[in-house]
Amino acid sequence: MIIEDRNHLPQEMNDIPDAKLALAQTDYTTDERFTTEPIGFYKDAFRRLRANRVSMISLCTILVIVVLALVVPNITGYSYTEQNVKQKNLPPKIPILENWGIADGTRTLTNIKKSSLDDAKRFPEGSVLSIINEYTVRKTEVVDIKVDYYAYCGAPETEYHWFGTDYLGRDILTRLFRGARISLMIAVISVVTNLIIGVIYGSIAGYYGGKVDLFLTHLAEVLDGLPYIVVTILFMILLGSGMLSIILALTVTGWIGTARLTRAQFYRYKGREYVLAARTLGVPDRKLIFRHILPNTIGPLITRAMIAVPGAIFSESFLAYIGLGIKPPEPSIGILLSVGQEVLLQYPYQTLFPAILISVLMIAFNMLSNGLRDAMDPSRRGEA
Amino acid sequence: MKKTLTLILTLTVILTLALAVSASAEKVFHTYMNEDCPTLNGQNSVQTSVNTPASYCGATLYRAVPDEDGANFHYIGEIAKDLPELVGENTWRITLREEACWANGDPINADTIIYSFKTGLDPQLANQMADFISDQDITILNAKAYNQQTAEAPVDWEDVGIKKIDDYTIEIITESEVSQTSVCSHFTTRATVPLYEPLYEECLSEDRLSSTYGSTAETWMCCGPYVIDSWVYGSVQSYVRNENYWMPELYNYDKVEVRIIPEMNARVELWEQGGLDYLAPDANTIETYIDDPRTVEYASATVYHIDLNCQNPLNPICSSVNYRKAIYHAMNREVIAHDLFGYQEPSGTYVNGQAGMFSESGLTYRESEYGQAVTAMVEEWGPYGYNPELAREYLAKAYEECGVPEDTVIELIIGYDPSESYWKATAEYLQEEFPKIFEGKVTLKSTTYSGTSTTEFKKGTDEWDLSPNDWSRGASRTYPYTCFYYYLTSYASHPNNYFDDEFEAQYAVCDSEEVKADYDRMLQETQKLEEIYLEKVIHVPVVQDVTYEMFSDRMVLPVETYLPGFGWGLIFADIEE
Amino acid sequence: MIKYIIGRIGAMLLTLFLVMTLSFWVIRLMPMSIFENPEVPPEVQQKLEDRMHLHEPMAVQYYYFIHGIVTKGDFGTSVKIRPGLDVFDIIKERIPPTMLLNFFSLLISIPVGIIAGTVAALKRNRWQDTIISFLIVIFISVPSFVFASLMQYCFTFAWPLFPTLYNAQAPTVWVAFSSMVLPIIALSLNPIATIARYLRGELIETLSSEYMLLARTKGLTQREATWNHAFRNSLVPIANTIIPLITGIMGGSLVIEKIFAVPGEGGLLVDSILAGDHFLTVALLIFYSVISLVSICVIDISYGIIDPRIRIGGGK
Repeated sequence: MIIEDRNHLPQEMNDIPDAKLALAQTDYTTDERFTTEPIGFYKDAFRRLRANRVSMISLCTILVIVVLALVVPNITGYSYTEQNVKQKNLPPKIPILENWGIADGTRTLTNIKKSSLDDAKRFPEGSVLSIINEYTVRKTEVVDIKVDYYAYCGAPETEYHWFGTDYLGRDILTRLFRGARISLMIAVISVVTNLIIGVIYGSIAGYYGGKVDLFLTHLAEVLDGLPYIVVTILFMILLGSGMLSIILALTVTGWIGTARLTRAQFYRYKGREYVLAARTLGVPDRKLIFRHILPNTIGPLITRAMIAVPGAIFSESFLAYIGLGIKPPEPSIGILLSVGQEVLLQYPYQTLFPAILISVLMIAFNMLSNGLRDAMDPSRRGEA
Repeated sequence: MKKTLTLILTLTVILTLALAVSASAEKVFHTYMNEDCPTLNGQNSVQTSVNTPASYCGATLYRAVPDEDGANFHYIGEIAKDLPELVGENTWRITLREEACWANGDPINADTIIYSFKTGLDPQLANQMADFISDQDITILNAKAYNQQTAEAPVDWEDVGIKKIDDYTIEIITESEVSQTSVCSHFTTRATVPLYEPLYEECLSEDRLSSTYGSTAETWMCCGPYVIDSWVYGSVQSYVRNENYWMPELYNYDKVEVRIIPEMNARVELWEQGGLDYLAPDANTIETYIDDPRTVEYASATVYHIDLNCQNPLNPICSSVNYRKAIYHAMNREVIAHDLFGYQEPSGTYVNGQAGMFSESGLTYRESEYGQAVTAMVEEWGPYGYNPELAREYLAKAYEECGVPEDTVIELIIGYDPSESYWKATAEYLQEEFPKIFEGKVTLKSTTYSGTSTTEFKKGTDEWDLSPNDWSRGASRTYPYTCFYYYLTSYASHPNNYFDDEFEAQYAVCDSEEVKADYDRMLQETQKLEEIYLEKVIHVPVVQDVTYEMFSDRMVLPVETYLPGFGWGLIFADIEE
Repeated sequence: MIKYIIGRIGAMLLTLFLVMTLSFWVIRLMPMSIFENPEVPPEVQQKLEDRMHLHEPMAVQYYYFIHGIVTKGDFGTSVKIRPGLDVFDIIKERIPPTMLLNFFSLLISIPVGIIAGTVAALKRNRWQDTIISFLIVIFISVPSFVFASLMQYCFTFAWPLFPTLYNAQAPTVWVAFSSMVLPIIALSLNPIATIARYLRGELIETLSSEYMLLARTKGLTQREATWNHAFRNSLVPIANTIIPLITGIMGGSLVIEKIFAVPGEGGLLVDSILAGDHFLTVALLIFYSVISLVSICVIDISYGIIDPRIRIGGGK
């Protein structure tokens, strides 16, 4: 038998020849070797996430929307700026569905003078499908009619706008997905930025406590004292409309919530025994923060980030509503919604489609965040 | 518990019903405004919303009232006793009613009127509507000079053509010969509503540079047929009859409720439910009401136009007349007017459809042979001046003139207020059209401003090229050429920065005494003026405004049709259930 | 505890001062001039500007600004929205509708949100949870102006239950209230969803934690354990959401006030920022900050009561 490491033995022991030595213990005691592969925290989380059907559906939905946002604007046959003012505000018309009476490009026009139905210039041959209602207002005969709005606007038979057109005759389907692209970009970039700033800031405040905490918290409080919406508006005015200004405006105070949450989580965990133990063992602050405490905050942070995405899209649409959105002709979901809201009474579908898309997107984000939270819950490690 | 709840509910229902019943006995006119008045002081706000309280709760020397048969309107004295009387060369004598008084019973006399006009023209106070006192339908002698005097060249109030003769008589001296109607019409604007001296003095700042008169209902004194019952800023103004008013028989409403409704959807919903007696559909809603028998339409005095910047440092060809011509011919006015503005009239000329209708002949300039000649000239270029071919040609010339290489791409900037959805649509439309028309050589970028006026926007920066505008001048109804008033160097807050000597000289010709005296000659000179305007392209006219309005079935209007300068006489209408 | 409270109030006042300073400098350095009336002759303009000390260096102007507020409660006068009127009076006049609107929606959204969140957590993955979660998502994702317009259409037009617009001159309390119902609901939807969502998540987490098991083992019923342990613990992070909630509601009211024509501060703020009415904007910013700071302070103090560990400056 050979003693491998002799360096640290006292000299006189080193001098003893090997032959004089005999092993006191002849049988090995070792831990049983793992035959399975080791599963890390994230791997386990991912495994559990994959098992969660709702989360996977949500993830797929998000991916599908992202893919659609990238693809659809290029394959509809219209560009997002292409106008045709003669065919503005066309209702939706979708092949196949139109045979069932949904999205068939018809509209009900009310308050039409009966005499103007004969005007072939206004109502081209075949555009009036049926008369729904006939009545008299101020001694004038008036009708409510159902028209083939595409024929009414002089659009060819073969023209299909799945989601209709807007006030300049632009295809809403194209604009919607183009808008989704922009809105998602704004949301993701601003949320990630907020997260990074907020986590660093919150960790420092929460971990060190004392005077540092006092200072940082008050600083955040000062910024937070300025109402979020107001700061955003001010920033937009200061920087002018545009995508970058929106992102910046959403970041000015957006990180504070994350910082607050991180700080609270730090206060919760930094007193725990395992942290104390690690500190006693001389683990450096940086490692304590990132290795031992921060992972505990990931669950709530992800939940927060997932809420922040609709939040950012929300703020973007709010800015669009008060006229500080991104520059035309570029669309965003917010722009489409605010334009749609103006004509909600006349053309409800112009609000409907953006509203559905934003809702689906948000449902997906929320469900995914639920799944992620469950998956990353340390107390549920190893569960199926 | 359930019993008490039922009891409370029943009680509220009964109460509401009782209130509803008692309210219906009164004649209440329900109308709306898009935005509230910054102040009730008609002398110091250019916002048109101020007209509403001024006409209901303020009195002026004269008032336009409908004829018995509803075919037309005429002027009667309101604070004045009779129509003005010509007593000397350009001197009009106005006698006041002795019964005219404020809502609190204090008398209104010559001193009140003189005080009001003097204050309105005060050079220190610099009231925004001072122009409307000195120079609107008539030009009062030295009034503008008094208002705009400087420390170096003071003008004495004694020299101004507003004189007190005795307690109930004043005299107005005009700079030129004017008609009686013009004098009456001049003294009907909100700027000439008298001021209540004690209150005004109380509201005046210590240095006499500004006054808060009219900023609340309490700091404004009514003297019209109605008094302000309550004013909740941003929500509602309501007026009730003025017990001290001297001609109550002319008016029928017992109460007027003016809601402030910024959202069009809300207006339409209220209108459909019968909550409003009046509705003016906008570009989005007119589609629904265009065929409604209740909808009435008329061409207003506004021609929407686009101002051009000739000093943009970023635009190398901005100073060229050929560039302006190129823009002029690149406007597809038919599409813009009909599809983007919503059933409006395209217009390649600037003198509006109402211009000249108050003249003695009653012939509008546009209908006259001179106006027609200009229209024909425009039509020769293309439909309403739209001609992409010409536009390209002029652009090439502009490039050549300014020594810009042929393949340069110029990015123009259009600045607009995004709350005006028709201009927003137009800007987006042009953004798409310009590169097509100019084969990619011109692109358009948009920038928006909110809240501030177009003048302020342009003052703030040189970096704009196109800027929508809708200014119109009421005086053009008498003298068509005054449309161009805002584009002269003499107008302080001109919206443009292009001035032309030939144009100004021709304006001076139109404005001269001898030309004004001969109406036909004046039209002829106006034609020349408009031709110069088109030749130099001072700005780009786009759309003649057509106003659409609707009235509820219970309204009984005092006139048969819309009368320009009088409207529908809503204040004299009646309500029948 | 009293020391803690005093400390918090002191901090709040300090913050307020900083906010005042910040908003003054930010707004006044904006590229907009204060007077833009071309009719005013230059020398009068000069005098008017002198009156407002506009020619002094910014630092001196700042001194006058603070001095005016502290000694006279004078925030300056409006120059564009309602020229000549004292800014403080303009704001004061509009406090009641704003307060009613914000207060009621907060009053509704906190309990409703808590109840919805608790029900969803307790009935996790059952139909109650599904419905609540679905509604939460809808309310969070569709902007309030779309909801407000939709509700205005449905409940005042298609099915006229309530008046279309806010009634500023309501003859009876009932009429006034009924005209406030829709704006309040429209304003509450998002906060309700936010609270419910958060509480649901928190509760689910705490319900599965060890101390709940301990509570059960020591003989508490599920109900007692949930109420005494899980619920109270879950409220801590909820306090976190309430602060942004208050500012959020105020932000939402900017839009809602416009749609229902409520004469409140929100619409005024937007108008005044857009119009460049600087004195009014600064004053409104301070007004909003005071509200948000007071609520932060109140929440912080109650925070300290719910969970003493969380007190600011608690040490490493």
